Amino acid sequence: MRKHIYSLLWAALAVLAASCLAVISENRGQPVNSFWLVAAAVSIFLIGFRFYAKFIAAKVMVLDDQRATPAERLRDGLDYEPTNKWILFGHHFAAIAGPGPLVGPTLAAQFGYLPGFLWILFGAVLGGAVQDFTILFCSMRRNGKSLGQMAREEIGRTGGLVALVTVLLIMIVLLAVIALVVVNALKGSPWGTFTIAATIPISLFMGLYLRYLRPGRVLECSAIGFALVLLAVVGGQTVSHSPHWSLVFTFSGVALAWGLIIYGFFASALPVWLLLAPRDYLSTFIKLGVVFLLALGIVIARPQLQLPPLTQFTNGLGPIFAGKVFPFCFITIACGAISGFHSLISSGTTPKMVARESHAWPIGYGSMLLEGFVAIMALVAAAALAPGVFFAVNSPAGVVGSTPVAAVTSISHWGFPVSVEQMSHLAKQVDETTLFGRTGGAPSLALGMAHIFARTGGGEAILSFWYHFAIMFEALFILTIIDAGTRVGRFMLQDLLGNIHKPWGKTGWMPGVIGSSAAIVAAWGYFLYQGVVDPLGGINSLWPLFGIANQLLGAIALCVATTVFIKMHGAKYVWVTVAPLAWLICTTFTAGWEKIFSPEPRLGFLAQSKALQSAIAAGKIGAANLANTETQIFNNQLDAAVCAVFMLLVTITVVDSAWVWYELLRGTRPKISAETPFVISRLETERT
Amino acid sequence: MNALRKLLVAVTNLAKELADENAYARYLKATGRQPSREEWCRFSDVRLRRKFQNGKCC
Repeated sequence: MRKHIYSLLWAALAVLAASCLAVISENRGQPVNSFWLVAAAVSIFLIGFRFYAKFIAAKVMVLDDQRATPAERLRDGLDYEPTNKWILFGHHFAAIAGPGPLVGPTLAAQFGYLPGFLWILFGAVLGGAVQDFTILFCSMRRNGKSLGQMAREEIGRTGGLVALVTVLLIMIVLLAVIALVVVNALKGSPWGTFTIAATIPISLFMGLYLRYLRPGRVLECSAIGFALVLLAVVGGQTVSHSPHWSLVFTFSGVALAWGLIIYGFFASALPVWLLLAPRDYLSTFIKLGVVFLLALGIVIARPQLQLPPLTQFTNGLGPIFAGKVFPFCFITIACGAISGFHSLISSGTTPKMVARESHAWPIGYGSMLLEGFVAIMALVAAAALAPGVFFAVNSPAGVVGSTPVAAVTSISHWGFPVSVEQMSHLAKQVDETTLFGRTGGAPSLALGMAHIFARTGGGEAILSFWYHFAIMFEALFILTIIDAGTRVGRFMLQDLLGNIHKPWGKTGWMPGVIGSSAAIVAAWGYFLYQGVVDPLGGINSLWPLFGIANQLLGAIALCVATTVFIKMHGAKYVWVTVAPLAWLICTTFTAGWEKIFSPEPRLGFLAQSKALQSAIAAGKIGAANLANTETQIFNNQLDAAVCAVFMLLVTITVVDSAWVWYELLRGTRPKISAETPFVISRLETERT
Repeated sequence: MNALRKLLVAVTNLAKELADENAYARYLKATGRQPSREEWCRFSDVRLRRKFQNGKCC
């Protein structure tokens, strides 16, 4: 009887999901309430979790709770520790959730809300969550080995080396693009800049507090840090209203880029306990708190979506970034649907803490679905803005014109009415001088979030507080990623250089620390600078490059998982990982090809470079802009080369893997698995 | 009420895990040492070095 009720409940959920999708599809031409998107997402994610993930767990992975996990066998109380599954779920989610699921869907909203919404739903269930879950499983069965180690063992030495180089390159592009998001959010904003600048002394104070005043009291210290950050947000308003201090904290994009580059260098070279760790504690708690608040706000406010389901920019001529809905929607939204970077987390700390094999199901698959839900909320927040406002904030001056009048004329001409007065009023409401051309996704997301929070409590009177709180929230954890990423890049570079000259490999050798930190900062700093001075806004070239790189790493991860499954079952369940792999290869290689070779100058790096060369040859560039234009030509050629290197590296991995699969399936290669032998679990009586 | 208490305990535990306070308690238990500034420094130096060898996700 209970079983029948249970089946009926799942059937009802399926009907609810279908009904929500029907309402969304029938409602074209009129604003749709966000409730339908949220309800459809929750229902489909629950169904995917209950049925598809369970199928993978039971049939493909054959998870076995009798088998001792590395957390039990290698328990050391530090890295290896059997941990409660819901605690580890939160831990894993905090590690995978970054700015990607917030910024990507906001940028992709230029196509309308529908393509991004559908991609997040089905990409997360059939691709992203499958990748995270399978890599967690593979690593868990191999003593918590990293993706690079598994690629070397399962595919071959080439696979391991390619994975290492790809990760390093992705890290550089990732750091540049997220730093660009911060720069675009803070330029010309004394309130935002003051708040973010204040988080540096706050983090240093927290580091000293934890080290010398109250060692080990991290929660207490984080609560004090949070209170100080809130004070900084409130104090930012006073700064922005002061004629003297507002000038002190008003910076151009270039000045902010230099500030971030210098900051990144020191953050990487300073002791980790002083700046990086306290900032990480603080940003983790704020991130989880804001995600929860946003979910609550959307449920209470249930905003109407103002953006249409599809815009004319599916044709590839969008102002935020160039490129058609296929493939560019699918690489713009990486985190939130499928992100290769997650495979590094799934083969990092998490597999060393899983108490029972069955826990990998909610932790690996469930956390990714929750990130998909965060992406849906970001999409709702962006789509709830008036379309004219959304495009006025996100369109670079190089596309819509450098004056407010030119911008509103262009945007209104596209069919999204907006006026200078409307934008001025909005800017005044959030205490900013202007909201035109604030590209990068963060300001428009902050606007959307501020409206949702304001509707939930406080009203429009505190809209400016919520806007700057949202900016602080986004910038704070982006800075944590810059700190940590620069440091990780430094370790990887030192690791590689140690093969040439041994002292470089020592992480405590000061010339090595300073030299490699400077090299990594210079690498991402160069891309950041090129993005800041790019007349098309930088996001147009850097975000697709990051999306391509991130999803190509996903392709490497799925190659590893496919090899493992072929060794376990032959070809029987190979479709589970090959289907998302094939999709990733199609989208990323199409996008990569278009970014390099498209004849449209806004889209193709080489076409843009050629167009600028022709402009110089025709004498259209004045002497004052000549050097800048020549740099842009070089930058476009560099971006094309980086994109080509990504594609080449992944082609090598995919071809190498396909050859291994062919040999395994033909039986000419022995199915030797690197899986650790079965050891029976003795965790029965312990609380996990 | 019971469910609310359980939820509160779970949230507190998650916060302590994210804050490394649980890991510190495990370390003290495993080594049989008392909490002190030196112990915290010893524990957190190793813990943080390992923790930040992995990148934060985007």
